[in-house]
Amino acid sequence: MKMIRVGRWMTAIALVLLAGVYVRALVYTPVERSQGLAQKIFYLHVPAAIWAETAMVLVGLASIFYLFLKDPRLDRFAESSAEAGAVFAAVVLTTGPIWGKPIWGTWWSWDARLTLTLFLFLLYVGYLLLRGAVADPGARARYAAVLGICGMVLVPFVHLSVYMFRTLHPMPIVLKPSAPSLPPSMLATWLFSLLVFTLLYVGFVVQRYALSYLREQLEAATGGIGHA
Amino acid sequence: MPEAVPQNAGYMIAAYIIVAVILGGYALSLYLRTRRSLRA
Repeated sequence: MKMIRVGRWMTAIALVLLAGVYVRALVYTPVERSQGLAQKIFYLHVPAAIWAETAMVLVGLASIFYLFLKDPRLDRFAESSAEAGAVFAAVVLTTGPIWGKPIWGTWWSWDARLTLTLFLFLLYVGYLLLRGAVADPGARARYAAVLGICGMVLVPFVHLSVYMFRTLHPMPIVLKPSAPSLPPSMLATWLFSLLVFTLLYVGFVVQRYALSYLREQLEAATGGIGHA
Repeated sequence: MPEAVPQNAGYMIAAYIIVAVILGGYALSLYLRTRRSLRA
């Protein structure tokens, strides 16, 4: 199947480029004086956070269109984007505390940004568990679409929580109305990393979409219920 | 006298390894799941 091959190639290229991000971040990007080497976690943490949030927005949009159009391709895409988003959210929730410990002196704080990010991850997990728990494909897609839309509504609160509440988490230094507060060499590394994470997201979604399609074909061939 | 740069490389190394494991592990799981479905 062509889609599987394309997805595998994209993922493989993205993983090789991720090694390039590691080399660029560790060897060719200056060390931030106040935070030391721990600041370099930024080059993985922030692109992963952007894709954890964007993936949920895409799940929500696909879900809205699914409820109107009942096109199974939209449901397949939402499922694929949710699984990839959950992986990126896991990256955010592991790199965040590892970065926080040397800088804030604590692994975790129940402040707005961190708690809402954890909530976003749990929504992803709930979404995937819901899909696994409902046997009828039509009902599964409808229930999941409703949860996906709820997840999309959460995303602006996650992103804007640093402005809305007093929080330990710093304000955005790249994704903000004014110019990024980063030296050019750091910004270049970050943009490279964002590009690689984008390619990873696309590669993951293409493969996962093809897997959903294969499973539906198998289900139909073995006498299971087709997509309603 | 300029302030010394904090010595916290271990945290960075741990984070970089964990990210590689999570992303590589998920890529591997996708590969294995599609291969299993193709063989079925």
